[in-house]
Amino acid sequence: MIMELTLEKKLQGFQLVAQEKLQAILCSIPGKKELILEPALIKPLEHVCTASWLKLKGIQRIYKHDAKQSLPRAADEVHIYMIRSLLGTYQTLLRQLQPLAMVETPDVFLKMYHIICVPSCYTYYQTLLEQAGLWGLVQLHHYNWDFIYFDQGVLSMELPNLYECLYLQGDSSPLPAVAQSLRLLQMICGPPAVILSFGSHSAQLLQMLQALGKLPESSNLPDYGGWLIIDRDKDYPSSLLTPAIYAGLLLEVFQQRAGEIVVDNSKNKISSQRVELLQSKQSSKGASSKPISVRLNSASDEIYGDNRYKHFAQASSWIRAQVKALGLELQKLNDMQLEEMHDYVARKLPKLTELKAKVLRHLNASEIVIQMLGNFRRLQALEEDILNNVSRKRLLGDIDELLTTDGQRYNTLRLLCLLHHCAGVAPEELQTFARNYCNMFGHRELGVFQQLAQAGLLPQLLPEKKAPTKLLANLPLPKFQQTEFQANANRLKLLTSCGDGPDGAASSKEVQSCPSFVFNGTYIPLVAQLCSILLRANTAEELSTKLAMIEGMQLHLDSNRQTTPKAYAAQQKTQSPGPAAASSSGEDADVFPLRLRNLFVFVVGGANYAEIAACDFISKLTGAHITVASDSLMAGSDLIAAAFSN
Amino acid sequence: MDVQFDSESYWNRSSRAAFSFDDEDEVDIVSTELPSNKWENNGIFSDDTISEASFENSPALNHLSIKAILSEEALKLVLQEQNLDERVIHKGVSPDEELKLLRRQIQSTLYSPDLDATAQKLLQGKTAPLEMFRSLHEKQQLLDTLLSNGGGHAVVTVLLFLKRTLNAAQFHAILKQRPKALEQYLSYLRESGDVSSHIDLLQRFGRHQEAALKQFQAALASEDAPSRKQHLQRLVDAYANAGVGIIPLYEQVFHAALKMQLLMEREGTAGKQLGDQPTPIELLYVCCQQNNNWKEQDMLKPIAPQRFAADQQISPAQYEWTALNERAQAQAYADLECIFERVPTWHPLKSKQFHISFDLTLAVVRLYELHAPSTVLQLFLSKMGNSGEKLALAQKVKCIKAVIDAMAGLKQQQELKQLRETLPERSEEQFYCENALKSLQSKRWTTDNIKLKL
Repeated sequence: MIMELTLEKKLQGFQLVAQEKLQAILCSIPGKKELILEPALIKPLEHVCTASWLKLKGIQRIYKHDAKQSLPRAADEVHIYMIRSLLGTYQTLLRQLQPLAMVETPDVFLKMYHIICVPSCYTYYQTLLEQAGLWGLVQLHHYNWDFIYFDQGVLSMELPNLYECLYLQGDSSPLPAVAQSLRLLQMICGPPAVILSFGSHSAQLLQMLQALGKLPESSNLPDYGGWLIIDRDKDYPSSLLTPAIYAGLLLEVFQQRAGEIVVDNSKNKISSQRVELLQSKQSSKGASSKPISVRLNSASDEIYGDNRYKHFAQASSWIRAQVKALGLELQKLNDMQLEEMHDYVARKLPKLTELKAKVLRHLNASEIVIQMLGNFRRLQALEEDILNNVSRKRLLGDIDELLTTDGQRYNTLRLLCLLHHCAGVAPEELQTFARNYCNMFGHRELGVFQQLAQAGLLPQLLPEKKAPTKLLANLPLPKFQQTEFQANANRLKLLTSCGDGPDGAASSKEVQSCPSFVFNGTYIPLVAQLCSILLRANTAEELSTKLAMIEGMQLHLDSNRQTTPKAYAAQQKTQSPGPAAASSSGEDADVFPLRLRNLFVFVVGGANYAEIAACDFISKLTGAHITVASDSLMAGSDLIAAAFSN
Repeated sequence: MDVQFDSESYWNRSSRAAFSFDDEDEVDIVSTELPSNKWENNGIFSDDTISEASFENSPALNHLSIKAILSEEALKLVLQEQNLDERVIHKGVSPDEELKLLRRQIQSTLYSPDLDATAQKLLQGKTAPLEMFRSLHEKQQLLDTLLSNGGGHAVVTVLLFLKRTLNAAQFHAILKQRPKALEQYLSYLRESGDVSSHIDLLQRFGRHQEAALKQFQAALASEDAPSRKQHLQRLVDAYANAGVGIIPLYEQVFHAALKMQLLMEREGTAGKQLGDQPTPIELLYVCCQQNNNWKEQDMLKPIAPQRFAADQQISPAQYEWTALNERAQAQAYADLECIFERVPTWHPLKSKQFHISFDLTLAVVRLYELHAPSTVLQLFLSKMGNSGEKLALAQKVKCIKAVIDAMAGLKQQQELKQLRETLPERSEEQFYCENALKSLQSKRWTTDNIKLKL
């Protein structure tokens, strides 16, 4: 029996490889095994295996790791710790195991302690192990579960600190693990005809991929025509703007862990950003009710599947209508004959009640979203003005007022970052804002501004004041003076709402025919636009004219050639006289139009649902499949929150 | 495979409770402390059953074998790459191969180190001996290769090795020539929590701003208040005399933090209810709570709200918003006037003026949310210039008198009459409405109008 092996199935198959890899580690360790897990690893690990599977592999008991308390070990037990590869966590664990160095003597053949680092074990961990006197007592492993299949077309590696490492700390340590996962993807889905990369981390990633060596021969047919790998900092607005779609807003308001959100009536991601003392304590209704988790997976939750990429207003009214309809359906029960009722209760009712539970969950979630976002229209108008750089001075004032009257630890800062990215913020202006910010959220947050400046999200503060620039900043900038963001955004036609006035009305009608609907018709996520360009290009020349003006884009062709779109087009041109010549050499034929219509998108540093929804829209428009993958899925506030961890 | 086994319940345990697989129904608690309920309480691991149905994509996977997606050779490669220690010689290797393997190992340890192979291994997180990189040139070469390959952890490994095998001058020279390596090393120090080395290195390489920031954070992180104060004092003194220009914002915040620390020490009661390190706004809120004279605040008292706001450079808007919230929560609405009315400083003889530093609408809405009586709402609404906006807002916050005012302002006689009908008979609002109507009608005959007509 040979089942048809669809692309989605193959992507789900990552789980099998992850099991295989975990099994290899666990089975290499003899003895009575106990697994001690870092709590944050539990949810993602559930996507790899179940507890019963672990039991089959010889794990006797599973504990949650407690950094404050070490676990006593019986003489015949083997302890296997599983932690994230974070230096801090690792050091804490070593300190916890430190007493062993005094009592135990290393046994060459049987190590009683093992540490599995996810996703990679850094080489200097061995050095630290030796320094702690634990060499020979503790054995290190690393384990990378690669891509976790969240939903149709959505993959995540669940590496939550990658953005922070790469963009804020300048630490490229996590990249090799990503390269390894991309290599596994190539083994499973075949190498693509062309890879478009944008940004230095993306280019580095591809360089590593190459350094990992050739792939073994595979009998599988390739699935993807092209890959698109892009750095997060090449398209910050997609993360910083508040999305208008259902899935995006769910992530804005609720904490996400490994593809599911936690809906809690008493606290959520937005309410916990506010200063509690300054809240008008609205009666917290039903605070005692249990938090509920909702899986963002369309196969297991059809309500989510139907609504995930719809405009929020549309989705929430659909859900409300659904609740009503279900209520009516259940009322029918009253008017039924006994026999009918038997049949109904036996066959239809369980399904209906299950559906009802699901719908109610979404109803509850969408109501909390509405309550939390408050004046959503005002926020969106503000964001739109920031995008189009309309009266910068007023925008600064508005953001400051928001900080005072509805200060949100991450979201208010996020607006300022957006303003800096789109229109520029002067160091003196940041200084004033930062002063108010520290008053609001405490002096200890002073370091955040430096962190965000590191990522280019805010200007660097300067040791001495420069008086003359202040004058200039106060002048309204003439329209033709574009910031770099606007120049690039205009070249790629990302801004869809700048022509205000008469066509403003027309744009609302067009909203549904343009991927910018994810931001209420104001902005097209860069990845979606690039996907659309890749899928629509008929020749290398066409691609080149669209992308030539953008710096930092690279094309990678299969035989390890790395070039730019422009150079590639030029090369194709010189070859082109005599199409026979091109086809005879085979390899050198123009890869455009892409023969395989599937694309794989990887965002280095966290993708978001606005991007995913926009790509989904493009894929429906062009009849292609687009898979969006990233190290993690993030809302804009998560991005800003990364700067707070130090 | 028995998948009936509910995996969820296994994860749902507190850290010190484990579950043995031997008796599937009962949970074997090997606890050394009280089984803490913290996981139950915050409910992260307690969920309803439906969404948790199954985390495996089992229907698909039950039919999917790994062979279909990955060739045997590829899988072998993947597993081999996962293996950290390649020096272990596996069983079943023929003597010939074993000899080859050993010869290669000896060669790489005793003679010329293999640069690329070492770099490659380090990148994959595998152990590779570094000891044979002895000359400075070899060391630098190794570092540079890794820097160009990316993968910061390998760079750190080599840097730790260099630090051990080179003296400080050489080590720092190497860092100085390679900003990327310096960055990586700094990030390592930060992560490892070695604050003093981190600050030293920042200062050595002239990055005083970051060093100051780090010192500040370290000072705030001190365990108890006295040592926190001491560290802050030292920091402020150091940068006052250091002669390196420090970012003005940093300087301001350092001073403010020290001042607040001193204040909290002196006025022990002020911050008691707030935890160890309150924010300036939180402390201002407490100052507002404790202030009992809003008519004339005693500016000599450091915990008078206005004085505190001035000391901490809290913006007028923040001060007003905090005071508004606190006074409204305390239902001391009479004080609100004192907060928003002030004598213009440039002209002390002039009468008091109403002044607000943020959008009036926000103030009205917040007061409404805090259940302020409608006379208070009316006071704030009366300050709004635009009658149209005033009407909309007054209707939103259900302040009838302000609605009447706004209608009168808009000369909406018809609407006023309609409104009068809906109001309860002989109520205060009805009288108010009638008066408004009367004055609207009588206004026609005021002298202004006559003059205009002439």
